Amino acid sequence: MTIFKLVIRRSLMSVVTLLLVSLIIFSMLEVLPGDVASRILGRDATPETLEQLRTELGLDKPAPVRYLTWLGGLVTGDMGQSLVSSRPVEEILAPRIFNTVLLSAYAFLIYLPLTIIPALLQALNRDRSVDHAFSVVTLVLLSVPDFLLATILLLAFVVMLPLLPAISLVDQSSSAWEYLRAMTLPALTLAIVMAVYAVRMLRDNLIEVLDSDYIRMAELKGLSRRRVLLRHALPNALVPTLNVTALNLAYLVGGVVVVEKVFSYPGFGSLLVDSLQLRDLPVIEATVMISAFVYVVANLIADVAAILLNPRLRTG
Amino acid sequence: MSAETLSAPPGRSTSRWTSLPSLWRQTPLSFRIGLIVLVIHLLVAVTGPFWAPYGFSQMGTGRPLSGMSRVHPFGVDQLGRDIFSRVVHGSHIVILLSLSGTFLGLVVGAVLGLFSGYVGGWIDEIIQRFLEALISIPFLVLALIAIAAAGPELSGNPVLIVLVVALVYAPRIARMARSVAVDIATRDHVTVARLRGESAWSVMRRELLPNATSVLLVEFALRAGYAPVLIGSLGFLGFGLRPPTPEWGLMISENRALIIVTPITVLGPGLALASLVVGLNLFTEGLARILGRTVKLGVQ
Repeated sequence: MTIFKLVIRRSLMSVVTLLLVSLIIFSMLEVLPGDVASRILGRDATPETLEQLRTELGLDKPAPVRYLTWLGGLVTGDMGQSLVSSRPVEEILAPRIFNTVLLSAYAFLIYLPLTIIPALLQALNRDRSVDHAFSVVTLVLLSVPDFLLATILLLAFVVMLPLLPAISLVDQSSSAWEYLRAMTLPALTLAIVMAVYAVRMLRDNLIEVLDSDYIRMAELKGLSRRRVLLRHALPNALVPTLNVTALNLAYLVGGVVVVEKVFSYPGFGSLLVDSLQLRDLPVIEATVMISAFVYVVANLIADVAAILLNPRLRTG
Repeated sequence: MSAETLSAPPGRSTSRWTSLPSLWRQTPLSFRIGLIVLVIHLLVAVTGPFWAPYGFSQMGTGRPLSGMSRVHPFGVDQLGRDIFSRVVHGSHIVILLSLSGTFLGLVVGAVLGLFSGYVGGWIDEIIQRFLEALISIPFLVLALIAIAAAGPELSGNPVLIVLVVALVYAPRIARMARSVAVDIATRDHVTVARLRGESAWSVMRRELLPNATSVLLVEFALRAGYAPVLIGSLGFLGFGLRPPTPEWGLMISENRALIIVTPITVLGPGLALASLVVGLNLFTEGLARILGRTVKLGVQ
């Protein structure tokens, strides 16, 4: 019962957070800096076009009314119309989100072995040269910005070793194979950035677990080294890494912005950048809300998992 | 770095910290390497504009796209500008904006966090929910919409970049400062100060802040280490500083289209950016170890 209450309380807090996010985004983009209409039209605005756009956007109504209308639309799935293409925002978003989900799933698929294998190698060769070498590599990769990593991978796989396309343009008519080829470099970039954080953490956890009594016990029972490692040590070391994985999901929401842009992959992140350049307000607001939603849900899952997995937290 | 801060870790006797060289040898290796890298970067930032071979927007310094040579170690871009000179000229811009943005975020975050944790109650609850909401927007997305909100008149303005870095970091630093304040607020010396009738501001400044110094120092170093990446990402996406500013992220994006012809024009600025961040990360890790703290590098 207490766990249940704790989880409910935590979920309600997430809802409050999302409401505040919507308030912040709305006021940043619509209320704070003067007139939206003149910002959309820019320098070539005339009084007539300004007036027309204002009525079109409903800017003649007071801000709180506009906020509530927008929020109500978000909840019911009506996100308004794009200012640029006049299409409903949901219609623009749907294929982009599909592409990004596909890309993220692919990235996570690469991320898992990329995290587990180096961490295992490091933990097994602890304080030896393999361990040190990987530590240096992860530290350096930690410091390489994702846009630079993407550019270097592009140089390696497109220019020097021409295997993959430089521009990841795909659409509904693309075949699965085309999708896979197009997504490989962006997914690899995202996977490396995520794995770098997780490898460092998993290595430390593994070393801690390998030092524990039950692993010694398992070894003394005469179990094979492989079995001890994969059946007894790894699952226990992976639990604390769950939190990092949730954080990585949160990174992914921002990371796709840069990485998709580098490879011109038509996903959610490049949509945000494009709509910012075009000052397409309804699309910007919807994309930012969705990215915050994913972040909040990822954190909620991480926290709930921590509550469920940690007996000490259950009484709290 | 003064002797007092370095002699802080428990279990090490003060008598061992005698001379500067031995002090140096006592510090963690990562701290030493990080500090050396940082000093080189700072030296380039301060003196670079005086010895850089060419001006940052000087055209016709060599044959465009002529690649790596002794005269042009990082090659020449499409407009005939020497990339090495541009990287050197960009150094002080990147470092200055990163440090001032992070410092502003530190000040705002520390005040907000310490205050929130000290007063507690519903004020604390409201501030926390707002900070949580700001943190829930992925930091690059937050930075991008802040720039969009500022409007086209301000875009490319260095002051805006400083404010955006501060906006992104202040909530994260505040959360850290708050946890320290909550921890200290119940201690005796704070209670005594409150009972003496000191104002919240005075308690914060005289009782909470001194106890939060090491946490805030590590936070500052950690965030400053990521600021060049944030500024670079904004430049790369076309929302940061404007051409012809020799900001490294912007340069990487400008020369990216010609990476097939002259990879060095991208790798040169990339090397500068990555080495600065490696230096800051190593420094942060070492500093945290000296202060007896653990730090998770890279966790946003």
